[in-house]
Amino acid sequence: MNSLVTNLRVFWQGTILSYIALFHWLEPVTYLASKVLMPLAQILFFTLLGTFATGRDTTSFYVIGNAIQIAAVSGIYGVTMSIGGDRWNGTLPYLFGTPANRMALFVGRAFIHVIDGMLGVVIGLLWGTAVLGLDLSQANLPALALTILVTTFSTSGLGLLMGCLSLITLNVMFVNNTVYFALLIFSGANIPLASLPSWMLAVSQALPLTRGIAAARQIIAGAGLADVGSLLAGEFLIGCLYVLVGYRMFRWFEYQAKRKGTLETV
Amino acid sequence: MNLLALQRNWRAILVVAEMTLRQTVMDAFILFTVLVQPLLIALLALWMLGGRGPEAAMFVVVGSGMTGLWSSLLFVSGNSINVERWSGTLETLVGVPTSLAVIVFGKNLANVTQSLISMVVSYLLAALLFGYSLQVDQPVQFAISLLLTIVAFISFGLIIAPLFVMNPSVQHWQNAMEFPVYILSGFLFPVALLPGWSTPLSYLLPPYWAARALHGTSTGGSGLNEVLFYWGMMALFSVIYLLISGHLFRRMLVKARVDATLDME
Repeated sequence: MNSLVTNLRVFWQGTILSYIALFHWLEPVTYLASKVLMPLAQILFFTLLGTFATGRDTTSFYVIGNAIQIAAVSGIYGVTMSIGGDRWNGTLPYLFGTPANRMALFVGRAFIHVIDGMLGVVIGLLWGTAVLGLDLSQANLPALALTILVTTFSTSGLGLLMGCLSLITLNVMFVNNTVYFALLIFSGANIPLASLPSWMLAVSQALPLTRGIAAARQIIAGAGLADVGSLLAGEFLIGCLYVLVGYRMFRWFEYQAKRKGTLETV
Repeated sequence: MNLLALQRNWRAILVVAEMTLRQTVMDAFILFTVLVQPLLIALLALWMLGGRGPEAAMFVVVGSGMTGLWSSLLFVSGNSINVERWSGTLETLVGVPTSLAVIVFGKNLANVTQSLISMVVSYLLAALLFGYSLQVDQPVQFAISLLLTIVAFISFGLIIAPLFVMNPSVQHWQNAMEFPVYILSGFLFPVALLPGWSTPLSYLLPPYWAARALHGTSTGGSGLNEVLFYWGMMALFSVIYLLISGHLFRRMLVKARVDATLDME
């Protein structure tokens, strides 16, 4: 019982402190620019490009796809920076010197970004409603909320995996940026999955967001939770898989860093 | 900054440009900005606009290349003074007889020229992966448009860099300024899709006139008179921005010396 309480405390303190540390150097105005206005500009750009290509009837396809994709801003950039921050700020040796439960410590880095990411998606959908005429009247809102939660969780799972890369490479932002833009292509946010060649479809099925975006489109069109149950289950499992692979990498990095004496290497 | 200063310092400009290229050629962030991101945007746009044929493909090649130009200008040229500050070399640069504006001009020249790779990469993508046989419709006019685009972007960069130094709060908006210029400049779709109130904003952006000239000459969609007008607008904005930048650089240096903040943000 004591062990559980300790682990929960490690999880919660890690969650709060890593988020505060991340936004210590980011001012509210930066948050506003990165998390409110940038999503609007990105949704507008890809929606206008999409409607220019295929006509105004498809506006909602692009708005929903790109609004859900905003989950990757927190899920990938936020989570990666929370994990990588320990390396850059020199706190990694202390972290690995503690007996704290590694899973609680690792997953704690992503928790608030899941909530923050959900807020980002909601802001994206509201922008879509206000600026691009997205119709949410048919949507089952609790089902949509669950879809956003599951999708943000799975994207943060990918972020945790990318965060581990930030512990062993100096160019993680290059990888992050590439993955972020690749998601715009492979997740079905802007290109219908049916038009992808088989190898791209295989990649898209292995990524977070793909099933979440498909589920969100169906829910906003009027489908119920039961209709998208399998998509959400798949999205959740993909997220769990990324968390587990990320965790294994985290432990492997800890082992290698201790063995080689490279904990402080930046 | 005036044209005479540029003429007198052309050797310094070229040396700075060469040094900058050597320093940044393998920089991961710049590689992403001028190579990977335009490539992914081109891939996406070619897929989305694929049904519209080779003319749309040329539109995408030029437009996605311009996204690389703007992103590089915003993130790399915009920080060209701050980078020296972070490296601890700004005081030395300010102390040398060559004016800081001339040095930043050279750095911007390197960045903008390097960004043209975006267009080449997009062209190769369209030709090799999508099998388009693309030809520039008016090659001479296109080359002149490209040259004027480089000058216009460099001049625009000379405004952004001192503004970011003098107003760190403006820099917080850097991430949010990338896509709006893609949209307002009509890089990948016509600005006619936007509401009418936004058109004057497009007119104030040199990238908009550059996009009109490059799209018009590459696809043959613009007549000579229209192209001449676009060139005139780019030249006009370049001169205006060069003049304003001279004032901004003077103000920035005076302020930094008075506040003793040359080496700190």
